Amino acid sequence: MTTSTPDASVHVRDLKKQYAVHEKEPGFMGSLRSFVSRKTKYVEAVGGVSFDLAPGEVVGFLGPNGAGKTTTLKMLSGLLHPSGGEARIAGFEPRKRETAFLKQITLVMGQKQQLIWDLPALDSFLVNQAIYEIPDAQYHATMREFTEVLSLDGILKKQVRKLSLGERMKCELAAALLHRPRVLFLDEPTIGLDVNMQEAVRAFIRDYNERYGATVILTSHYMADVTALAQRILVIDSGQLVFDGDLARLAEQGKGGGKTVKLKLREAVSAAQLAPYGGDVKVDGLSVELTVPRSEVSARAARLLADLDVADLTVEDPPIEAVMAELFGATAKVEKEAVSG
Amino acid sequence: MSVIRKTRVLFATRFAEMAEYRAEVIIWMLSGTISLVMMLVWMAQAANAPGGQINGYDASQFATYFLSVWLVGQLLVVWVGWELDFMIRQGTLSPKLLRPMDPMWVEYAAHVAERFVRIGPMLVLLVIFAALSGASFTREWWAYPVTLGLCILGFTCRFLYEYTLGLLAFWTESSTSFSEVAWLLYAALGGLFAPLTFYPQWVQDIAIWTPFPYMLGLPAQVLAGKATLAQAGSGALILFSWVVLFWFARLLVWRLGLRKYGAVGA
Repeated sequence: MTTSTPDASVHVRDLKKQYAVHEKEPGFMGSLRSFVSRKTKYVEAVGGVSFDLAPGEVVGFLGPNGAGKTTTLKMLSGLLHPSGGEARIAGFEPRKRETAFLKQITLVMGQKQQLIWDLPALDSFLVNQAIYEIPDAQYHATMREFTEVLSLDGILKKQVRKLSLGERMKCELAAALLHRPRVLFLDEPTIGLDVNMQEAVRAFIRDYNERYGATVILTSHYMADVTALAQRILVIDSGQLVFDGDLARLAEQGKGGGKTVKLKLREAVSAAQLAPYGGDVKVDGLSVELTVPRSEVSARAARLLADLDVADLTVEDPPIEAVMAELFGATAKVEKEAVSG
Repeated sequence: MSVIRKTRVLFATRFAEMAEYRAEVIIWMLSGTISLVMMLVWMAQAANAPGGQINGYDASQFATYFLSVWLVGQLLVVWVGWELDFMIRQGTLSPKLLRPMDPMWVEYAAHVAERFVRIGPMLVLLVIFAALSGASFTREWWAYPVTLGLCILGFTCRFLYEYTLGLLAFWTESSTSFSEVAWLLYAALGGLFAPLTFYPQWVQDIAIWTPFPYMLGLPAQVLAGKATLAQAGSGALILFSWVVLFWFARLLVWRLGLRKYGAVGA
């Protein structure tokens, strides 16, 4: 059941953030020099990002470390004042941090955020209930629902500092969503968790999105998070938005717009023999992988089947990790060429 | 209704949290005994002075004054500047900023709750120290509620200026040095080392323009029976004015500081 409202939309125009960074040479002399005259450098963390999200949309926000993902999320949640541009989240300007705005959003970053370290998680939930002015009936209904979906039974009365990483993350998520926010900013919500726990968190986010029609912006280094949850991908690199589209279109950008053909052969062949059929040839015993142009997939596959003793043939989009690596590699290369040129 | 609920829940959780650190609170309380050391010094000086008095204080009156200062000082303990310095530099302020409530109230609740953890052992120690030193407090009934009122105002005043100083971490690498200077002024002009009347006249003239003598020395003098109700009343008005001033100063620094916040780390 989706209960989305037009309020949960996100509009971002030319959003910028510049940081002042103090630089110091290492060692004693560096410290002395810095004491007398400190060097300040201005770094552009986000250099004019624009996008719109419809209510209920789940978007994967990807990019290498230091690309500007977290800075953008912090600006959208009102933690950072932008250096330029504007953002409207659920109809509010984040930097004003109005009470009504804060009740509409949540930002999850890491596993030591909301919970009171020395007390059971239940105490933190009660604090959030009071601060967010959640009516008793809604609080109990939400707690029942979260306890079931996140399997919180038995851990709510344990001291937070005695919870495992996974248990703590589940409690953090529950605390962050207790007030049923309409816009979720999730920064690496599964980082450090084991595979089962990652899947549980993904299922919880998916369920929350479907149940409440919440708009979700998700950053993650685990592509499984993104492919499982997001319909649309935003890629940011060096503070610039370099891609905005769906997963399939992102996959098309990989391997120069090619597809990956995987073969199981009955007789071994060399890489040189396979070269005429495609690029990026990888041979591992009887398993072979090569990239062919998207427009020639049918013809090349037919030739492979005719010319070689093939036991099995599959055609796939390149893995999203490879696409990302290629995309960021290309950006870095362009930057390097621009500098050297 | 929601304000009452928020107050109740914040107090209850912060009390539970502070109770986890009850042993540390008692140790911390014992560490804050400079006034008791000063008591021993001045009692010894008075015993050796001609007539057994210095500036109208005999050994027993010194004991009463410094023990009162110790008691008031225990109720005025504030650590919020250190908390803010850490939260701003480490970025742990971020989750608190995401909630629809000024983070100051959570810290205020923590400080008030800590007083309730502190008060039991504090009264036991007070009785022991009084018996050992020969201190005797005033028998005027009004002095006790008045002292409590002055302590509440003094604590709020100290909390607000320490909070404001802690917020300077938005601009500086560390704001705790400002808190250190503030503590020195609070201790010296408040009367932690000696009653204010023992200082040179020019120091006293400066001190009355600060909140410190009304925060620490005045309630101690009320308990010792050396201040009148009228003096306590005017002191309370002056303290209230400082509270209002620090309230707006904190608000201004908070609003300006948030623009500088880097939300590093978390």
